[in-house]
Amino acid sequence: MRNRLVALGGVLALAALLVSTVIPAAAQSAKPASKAYNPPRLPDGHPDLQGTYDLATITPVERAAGTPLVLTKEQALKLETARAAQRERGDQPIDGNRSAPPKGGDGSPGAAGNVGGYNSGWLDPGSVFTVVNGEKRASLIVDPPDGRVPPVTPEGRQRMAAFAARPTSDAQESNDPGLEKAPGAYDDPERRPLGERCMLGFGSTSGPPALPDYFYNNLHQIVQTPDSVMILTEMVHDARIVRMNAHHLPKTYRLWLGDSVGHWEGDTLVVDTTNFTDKTRFRGSTENLHVVERFTRVDDKTLLYRFTIDDPSTWTKPWTGEYAWPATDKHIYEYACHEANYALMDILKGARLRDQEQAAKSTK
Amino acid sequence: MRTRFLTLVLGAAATLLTASLPAAAHHAFGAEFDATRPVLLKGRIVKVEWVNPHTWIHVEIMKPDGSKEVWMVEGGSPNSLLRRGATKNSFPVGTEVVVDGYQARDHSELRANARNVTFTDGRKLFLGSTGTGAPPEDSFPADKAVTPSK
Repeated sequence: MRNRLVALGGVLALAALLVSTVIPAAAQSAKPASKAYNPPRLPDGHPDLQGTYDLATITPVERAAGTPLVLTKEQALKLETARAAQRERGDQPIDGNRSAPPKGGDGSPGAAGNVGGYNSGWLDPGSVFTVVNGEKRASLIVDPPDGRVPPVTPEGRQRMAAFAARPTSDAQESNDPGLEKAPGAYDDPERRPLGERCMLGFGSTSGPPALPDYFYNNLHQIVQTPDSVMILTEMVHDARIVRMNAHHLPKTYRLWLGDSVGHWEGDTLVVDTTNFTDKTRFRGSTENLHVVERFTRVDDKTLLYRFTIDDPSTWTKPWTGEYAWPATDKHIYEYACHEANYALMDILKGARLRDQEQAAKSTK
Repeated sequence: MRTRFLTLVLGAAATLLTASLPAAAHHAFGAEFDATRPVLLKGRIVKVEWVNPHTWIHVEIMKPDGSKEVWMVEGGSPNSLLRRGATKNSFPVGTEVVVDGYQARDHSELRANARNVTFTDGRKLFLGSTGTGAPPEDSFPADKAVTPSK
């Protein structure tokens, strides 16, 4: 493991050296470096975007207010090294004669919900910041320039408050019993988050927009023909079919992943998605969500993925993010989420038990 | 009263733990598992369910009265384990393990989350290749740990 850490450090140092020597020259050119790259092409002349990509990165969607988009090499190296060290600590043996964890919970936050998550061996959340144009990025969002999702419109706020009990497709799981504050949150399987129900991947891994989930199974595969492009998402086993040079379906047709149509702008594949259901609700959006994705092969091993989100009834203005999709030799495995989703049953049965306890208390 | 106690605990936790890493999961752990029911399971693996969205390891334990119980403990996705070289056969039946976690909120089930799965000497069964969104596994104070009453 230490060797791996040293190797990682070496690679990063080499990357830093390359960045410092190569990028300034590229930056002097008015055109992005990607324009100079001539990608491998399919017989129809368009770039070959096919492959399997691992979207895992530690770059968050938004960054802290007032901080720059680009991390310095030193900042990035420090944070990535800290992440590697944390990983190494997580692999260390613990006491084989340990006691049970403390009653009342172990205080762990977020998805771990006060009962602890997994030891690091279960997870695969990425270890490096995404690199775009040779820059280590601190957020996926590049527009607005402050790297923050624009303010929600008054209409959007009102709607989200009304739907507070209905988790969105990208819901970060609440630290239980926080969800209990929403009346009826456990009363009906359809009130549970889409990820928990195995409908779509959590954290918008299913997309669009396809975002890293910062947890595991961030693999996507692209298969391309002149007529259609398929984007296979490992979680939750979704295949999105992009119909090339086609019109959108009539608005009466609503799809969980939306209706995606594509066209080429030069060497960039542009995918336009509308016709979402009112259940997907990416970050609280409506069924009128409009997502435009741009896929550009920037070198032999990397796609640049850029997405623009628009829903005037949710956000005051459109917003755009971008990050690298590095090609990987890893295999995508089937994620048959319904096969053993005992968790949903445990959660609902657990809630019924609490109901009984409450009822018993109130009759005393 | 219990609600008030939990609120207190959670409030304190939220205050203390301000900087958590971004993490999401297939489900909310706290919705499935009961923080008031810590468990420590020492026994042998009798079955591994190598399935999504979570692996479930069946561990047979010996209770103080000599009777046996089989607990199911929930782990991560087999997909990510496969990619680092682990397979269903990496954890053969009979392997002695120690698991710490919390019992499912549905107390009629002998199920728990697998915060840590180790061999009896404390080595972890699953070594991570990347970082974790979870807090350090051994971060809870040992002197406050409570042995489960089963």
